[in-house]
Amino acid sequence: MIGAEGLTCRLGEFALRAVDLTVDAAEHFVILGPPGSGKTVLLECLCGLRRIDAGRVLIGEEDVTALEPRRRAMGYVPQDYAILPHLSVEENIGFGLRVRGADRAERTRKVAAMTDMLKIGRLLGRRPQGLSGGEKQRVALARALILSPRVLLLDEPVSALDEATRQEICSEISRIQKRLGLTTLHVSHNLEEALSVADRAGILMNGEFKQIGTLDDLLRRPRTADLARFMRCGNIFDGQAESDGSRSAINVDSGRIIVNGTYRGAVSVVVRPENIVVEERRAEQSLGENHFPVGLGRASDLCNYVRVDLDGPLAMVAHLSPAAYGALVRRARRELIARLDCEQIHVIEESRDSPPHRSRAD
Amino acid sequence: MKEHRKTSPARTRLSPFAWIGILATALFVGFIVILITADLFYIDRAALLALFTKPFILHALWMSLWTSVVTVLIALLFAVPIGYTLSRYHFRGRALIDTVIDLPIVFPPLVAGLTLLVFFSQTLLGRWIEQDLGIEFVFQPKGIVLCQFFVSASFAIRSAKTVFDEIDKRYEKVALTLGCTEWQSFRRVTLPLASRGIIAGCILTWARAFGLFGPLMIFVGSFRGRTEVLSTTIFLEQSIGNIELALAVALLMIAIALVALTAIRAVGRRGMVKL
Repeated sequence: MIGAEGLTCRLGEFALRAVDLTVDAAEHFVILGPPGSGKTVLLECLCGLRRIDAGRVLIGEEDVTALEPRRRAMGYVPQDYAILPHLSVEENIGFGLRVRGADRAERTRKVAAMTDMLKIGRLLGRRPQGLSGGEKQRVALARALILSPRVLLLDEPVSALDEATRQEICSEISRIQKRLGLTTLHVSHNLEEALSVADRAGILMNGEFKQIGTLDDLLRRPRTADLARFMRCGNIFDGQAESDGSRSAINVDSGRIIVNGTYRGAVSVVVRPENIVVEERRAEQSLGENHFPVGLGRASDLCNYVRVDLDGPLAMVAHLSPAAYGALVRRARRELIARLDCEQIHVIEESRDSPPHRSRAD
Repeated sequence: MKEHRKTSPARTRLSPFAWIGILATALFVGFIVILITADLFYIDRAALLALFTKPFILHALWMSLWTSVVTVLIALLFAVPIGYTLSRYHFRGRALIDTVIDLPIVFPPLVAGLTLLVFFSQTLLGRWIEQDLGIEFVFQPKGIVLCQFFVSASFAIRSAKTVFDEIDKRYEKVALTLGCTEWQSFRRVTLPLASRGIIAGCILTWARAFGLFGPLMIFVGSFRGRTEVLSTTIFLEQSIGNIELALAVALLMIAIALVALTAIRAVGRRGMVKL
């Protein structure tokens, strides 16, 4: 387990402000956030590379705040990997062992075992300059893991890689993390990356955790409109809610959305694009609850799904399967309706961190 | 492939812009070569022979070599910590210190010598060092080293700072998490990565110290067999009309400088030094 209590670190005008965080043993926790939100600074504070102004860093029950980085037993893989350019791959991986006084035989044995696990044995004699991004990533990971750290800290470990290598490395990281049961803190600004590896995640913005939870929570129940936008919730409408018993009606710009629950006053309504159903409007069919007339706007085929702008009184964005989108296009002359499921609508009571506005960003 | 080479316009035609560069390079290199060649034609065999037979020239050569090497070693002791501090730590007054370190580079040579002379002969601290402590610099061989250090150490410091600036701090951070103390991180990571730049700075420092003339004439004079170095030998010989010998000594200095510059190139081509 690793934790931070009230961790504060000031850097000019930026500051990490009283960050509280607990990552359970063997958990893969992803710190998500936009660039400049303080993710790397937090990681560096945790592993002792940055002096903190207040707070504590804990590993298990042990307070390691005052310990030097080398005594914290944390494996650190920085952004761009920092493979030491004057050493070979083998020397890089065995660097920590050598510093700690391991003899050549022990180094050779442990380096071989680690490179076997990461399938990079063929790289041992190579210089870092000739390695690909994915190879460098594996070398950096091996160098951190060979010291059997209590916690693994990964700073944007795949951000510099192409998409295919990124997926491959994410799977690899996940496999090794589960196999070793290693508590892992993983910094990323990429949602797909987080989705592919995380047990839990936290969203850091302006030096503060805005929400910590499971990915399901973060994706479907963001606490603020800004978080919803960061989690690409797609459709965020600001409106005024009125309640009548167990249900509420929310008046947005050009429509009325019915949701479960009791809400009053200013709220934001969040509907994920994949939760919008677009269908043909039958003849004489009247518009029911949470049914909105729409037309197909700009569409982008993203392989697994088609992202479609829906034009109408309530402009929205939907993710449709290629087959469903194809069927709608073939019947382009028919009227279409977008249907929202009450169960899939999330309501945020009053915008806490941003002025109200409507967003259809993806 | 051959046909491709023949028809490739990039290989056969040079742009006017490229020609400007080629012309400027040819003019400058030609100018230097012509000057040195002219010197070669002027000197005679006797003068060349004198380089290796006249005791005062051999002594001046020895003085030039040992003083400049000692200067480099002392400059290195200062350059590495100062360069690292200026590169890695941000503190109030850093820009001012940076400027002060560069000052000796732009000092007029005579001013540097005069400044040292005034310090050791006119100030309380200088006189205390010379007279009470008995560490004499004025008109002494030790003064040659001090004078060379004062004028040339800035080159070593500047080079060291530049090369430390270029080294990504993340290498050091990773080393700290891998078990290094700050000193180990510096010795095992930063220093090997900086070695090329530091060595290049040392060679520049040495070249500057080796060829120093003006400040030495003022601060230590040119006493034959005592404080005479090759640069002052040239001055003394030409001032008594012995132009051939002065030129022979000059060519000896050029040859030594050539070796030094070749060494810089060789160091530049080599990989980083492992420590």
